Amino acid sequence: MHHAFKLEDSEFNLELSRAPAGYRLHLTDRTVPVNLHLEDDGSAVLTANGRSERVLVATRGDDVFIHLGGVAYQLRYEHPLQRLAAQSAGSAEDHVRAPMPGSLVALHAKPGQSVARGESLLVMESMKMETTIAAPRDGVIEAVHFAVGQTFDRDALLLSLVAAAVEGKKS
Amino acid sequence: MKRIESKLNTASAEFQANAAHNRKLAEAFKTMQHKVRNERPERDIQRLKAQDKMFVRERLKQLLDPGTPFLELSSLAANEAYEGDVPGAGVVTGIGIVSGREVMINAGDASVKGGAWYPLSVKKTVRALDVAIENRLPVVHLCDSAGGFLPLQAELFADKYYAGRIFRNQCMLSKMGVQQVAIVLGHCTAGGAYVPGLSDYNVIVRGTGAIFLAGPPLVKAATGEEVTVDELGGADMHTSISGTADYPASSEEEAIAIARDIVAQFKRPDKTRIEWLPPEAPYYDPSELYGVLPRDIKQGFDIREVIARLVDGSRFHEYQPAYGKTLICGYAHLWGYKIGILANNGVLFNDSALKGAHFIELCNQNRTPILFLQNITGFMVGKEYEQRGITKDGAKMIMAVSNSEVPKFTVMCNGSFGAGNYGMSGRAFDSRFLFSWPQSQISVMGAEQAANTLADVKIRQLARHGKQLTAEDVAAIRDPVVAEFKRKSSAYYSTSEIWDDGILDPVDTRNALGIAISAALNTPIGDPRYGIFRM
Amino acid sequence: MKPPTNPVPDPAILEATRSRAAAWPFRSVLIANRGEIAVRILRTVQALGLRGVVVYHAADHKAPAVQLADQAIEITGATPVAAYLDAKQILAAAKASGAGAIHPGYGFLSENAGFARAVAEAGLIFVGPTPEQIELMGDKVRARAFVARGGFPVAPSAIEDDDPATFAERALKVPFPLLIKPAAGGGGKGMRIVREAAQLKGEIERARSEGQRYFGDGRLYVERYIENPRHIEVQVLGDAHGNVVHLFERECSVQRRFQKIVEETPSPALNPELRKRICETAAGIAREAGYRNAGTVEFIFGTGGEFYFLEMNTRLQVEHPVTEMITGKDLVLEQLRVAVGEPLGFTQEQVTSHGHSIEFRIYAEDASRGYTPTTGPVLMLRPPQGEGVRVDSGIVEGQDVTAAFDPMLAKLIVTGKDRAEAIARADKALAEYALLGCVTNTAFLRRLLNHQAFIDGQVHTGFLDAHPEIAAQPELNETTLHKLLAAAALVTRPMRDVADLVPDMHAAIGGWSN
Repeated sequence: MHHAFKLEDSEFNLELSRAPAGYRLHLTDRTVPVNLHLEDDGSAVLTANGRSERVLVATRGDDVFIHLGGVAYQLRYEHPLQRLAAQSAGSAEDHVRAPMPGSLVALHAKPGQSVARGESLLVMESMKMETTIAAPRDGVIEAVHFAVGQTFDRDALLLSLVAAAVEGKKS
Repeated sequence: MKRIESKLNTASAEFQANAAHNRKLAEAFKTMQHKVRNERPERDIQRLKAQDKMFVRERLKQLLDPGTPFLELSSLAANEAYEGDVPGAGVVTGIGIVSGREVMINAGDASVKGGAWYPLSVKKTVRALDVAIENRLPVVHLCDSAGGFLPLQAELFADKYYAGRIFRNQCMLSKMGVQQVAIVLGHCTAGGAYVPGLSDYNVIVRGTGAIFLAGPPLVKAATGEEVTVDELGGADMHTSISGTADYPASSEEEAIAIARDIVAQFKRPDKTRIEWLPPEAPYYDPSELYGVLPRDIKQGFDIREVIARLVDGSRFHEYQPAYGKTLICGYAHLWGYKIGILANNGVLFNDSALKGAHFIELCNQNRTPILFLQNITGFMVGKEYEQRGITKDGAKMIMAVSNSEVPKFTVMCNGSFGAGNYGMSGRAFDSRFLFSWPQSQISVMGAEQAANTLADVKIRQLARHGKQLTAEDVAAIRDPVVAEFKRKSSAYYSTSEIWDDGILDPVDTRNALGIAISAALNTPIGDPRYGIFRM
Repeated sequence: MKPPTNPVPDPAILEATRSRAAAWPFRSVLIANRGEIAVRILRTVQALGLRGVVVYHAADHKAPAVQLADQAIEITGATPVAAYLDAKQILAAAKASGAGAIHPGYGFLSENAGFARAVAEAGLIFVGPTPEQIELMGDKVRARAFVARGGFPVAPSAIEDDDPATFAERALKVPFPLLIKPAAGGGGKGMRIVREAAQLKGEIERARSEGQRYFGDGRLYVERYIENPRHIEVQVLGDAHGNVVHLFERECSVQRRFQKIVEETPSPALNPELRKRICETAAGIAREAGYRNAGTVEFIFGTGGEFYFLEMNTRLQVEHPVTEMITGKDLVLEQLRVAVGEPLGFTQEQVTSHGHSIEFRIYAEDASRGYTPTTGPVLMLRPPQGEGVRVDSGIVEGQDVTAAFDPMLAKLIVTGKDRAEAIARADKALAEYALLGCVTNTAFLRRLLNHQAFIDGQVHTGFLDAHPEIAAQPELNETTLHKLLAAAALVTRPMRDVADLVPDMHAAIGGWSN
């Protein structure tokens, strides 16, 4: 199960293979016959387990947006090589990301500075609410990627910590 | 092509008894195969875990495209050797699909004696690479081996087709432009270092993978230098300093994913085009094959009943239906591919031998791959037939088989005895793939016959010295011979010695042949050129 | 892009107004706003045969209003929002385009008395009330005092201005819980609930600093906070000749962070008698102020049927469409008529209400994550259509939703012969409403309108807090999950390409091994 999609906070591993008519979706516990047929008007017909229905699908980069059954969903694709490289290269705690879109109001950290876990790094503002972002762990600031006054989207990389020393990988 | 009319009565007691018998044999085969593939002593499983290594089957699962077939070759190699302690000879080989391409897999099984190379491990690997060369299949090596099994080094090191042949074959593949990628998942020591060294691309796992001509202990012994595994031949050293390895990976999963991506870069082969129609399942149920094969190998049966349960729509165009009737020849489609079939319905006579040679020539003219379904006790013997030139006619058939340019495929359906094996494209005759059915037997002559012959010799020898033998004495001479013959003519012995590319459950034959034919078509088909047919 | 059709107003009225508009003192109207309201105003302006001019910041260059306007003039600012607050640039644009009137929409400069004055001084017509009326109602403390003096009901309170020194002390005397509100605030911003006396001092300080930061004015007042009140407002319209009518009420109780999400009319809380009383109270307040043009009087409505004046908004409101749908009146058209000095074209008796209309605000936000705003490209947009469905949209396919502006993207207004029909139509419309690329609240709105309490009309301003399950992300059922993964995999090239490469025979044999 190399490929994966993230939906909300969950990650789902999956594979796709070709069947005589259509495709098979391989999940960790089962295989589902599937197919997708694009129509002229931009909509698509999705068939899964023999049932067909109209859906709308749009993509941008690794993001796939799907309107199905009256609800819109967003999934993010994780290419196996990216996912596996990320697993080894530095942990999530090296990157401080924006929990929501907004702008930078105040900065309390600069590159080279040592910070303790929980220490306030910056204050951001969104929809007239201010949020303080704290250090996820003890560490040293490697770089700050935004200046006061700038706006950013959700998940934007605000600040990086120097990668924690990699514990010797088991042989 | 019209459909073969089956004359079988599937309700008959005979059919049912055969079916029950052959199903049991198939089940026994599958059970043994499962054991050989998966069961390992607990300490070996734990050792792998402690080393952070995946079991070879798990590695293959990650490597191969999901929802695609894997044709494993010689799964029961070494099952009657080394006291059965080296399942599969510690190597897994086979044809699978990686990133949409047909590839040959050559994977070390570190759960078996640390992946050490026994003589049969070497033979299995050489065979896999021979298949890769003949069929122009890119190779993915999963390297994880402790090196050669020293106690048996005399049987795996020096000779022409021993370990050196692996590396020579790698060089031939490279010369042919057929790519290889090696994934270094363990230590590649001494000769083993040449597997990644001679591969066009290689990936190495940080921490567990290493490449060196000699490991730290040998280095210390040789020069006194003290050095760690990683310093001597680890991932970072080879990928950033020596350039021996191309891609470092932090885990086995990552290494395999990188290898898949490498294979995805390989240019796709130009497939040789042969006649083809959209495939169709056989009209008759392939599971009826169990009822077709008799319980007693001496009993005959109509091989057309086998053909009917292998080919598309059970349709068959029979060539010379009224002549040489002990050899059935004709055309059919299998998984869509047009093939010619030669199949035995009894002993080979003059006419059947001539028919066979002629039909092989027709297939070569037509660029039609040939499938040999063996159930042969030999050529007819006797004064009448010698005068008619049975030796010459057999020679012509063997000449045609040997010089055939179209790919050949052989299945030992039942018996394969004596020179009949040769005329029907046995192992020595370069079939691209050769498979055996579980109940099949192979030897220079039948066990009984051989026992009788040897006993005869002994009896006459003793008679010259005035000795008379009782029935028990005769039995004491005959029975061990029979037993030994039977053991060494079974499909299990044959497959253990890698005289074939694996035993197949008869119902799996269709898929196996389809995959085999597809693989064979990566190589162009040359124009036929024969030697002299003794007329 | 074809503008959506508006069944409002009556074609005869439109035609008649159109002919008169030919003689109006201006040919062009400049719309000093953006998003859906700019499109909405433009629609009526153009339907009357007038030219619509729009100002826009570069961030809005793909906006539908910019595409539909007869003329679009770019304005600049330190931030996009700042541009739309720049009176000087807007007046310059009006001059340059020859516009004779400026419609301020809602928000931005619509309740800025200084701007209204500057427009008049520039010799242009401001489509809205007089600057004095804006000032009176803009200062919440003054407005309150004015309404109380008129004998209309107001909530118990403490006003800082009355005596700043004793403010905190007097605040303590107002029955708890309290609501601290900025005097210069509005639209639900900057308010804080205080439940315990011990917290009051700290909350006052914080409210003051926020008021200073957001409204430039740190003055406060404190009101009794009515738990779970209903928010009911009344649309009023006055002309320059002293005529004032109400156009019935709207219930806007479903809110989050004091901002409205769903508005409907008629209010399910009012019987005919109460309805009459509230509406007439509102009309009375407007009349008392000599109110000109469109405005809304907002009330807090308690469980016992008591109601208090909350504030008056001296502009067209976001939720005006529901009033239009049940009365058949085009409020922007009426605003323009009043602005040129025409008397109201109808009496109070002639204002009738038919059917039930509900508006759902389509926000770019994630209801399940505390309603945090979302951003993203509008990759695909398929608004719903059908009987009783009206979509006032400020976005088109190809635009980007960014953090630069308020996250309201569009309004879905659904009308039916009664509330049940409106809800049923709304459910269908929200299911059809597809916007791909940016998370919106459409699925949340569907869960909302299907909630039994909503169906029963049991709404109040604490409704969403009382029913957190509405905002919560529902569990994804397995079948839906599989469908999503299938669709996603099939449009993702690395996955699809590798599958497509497998030869036919191997695909047909599938995952077999010998």
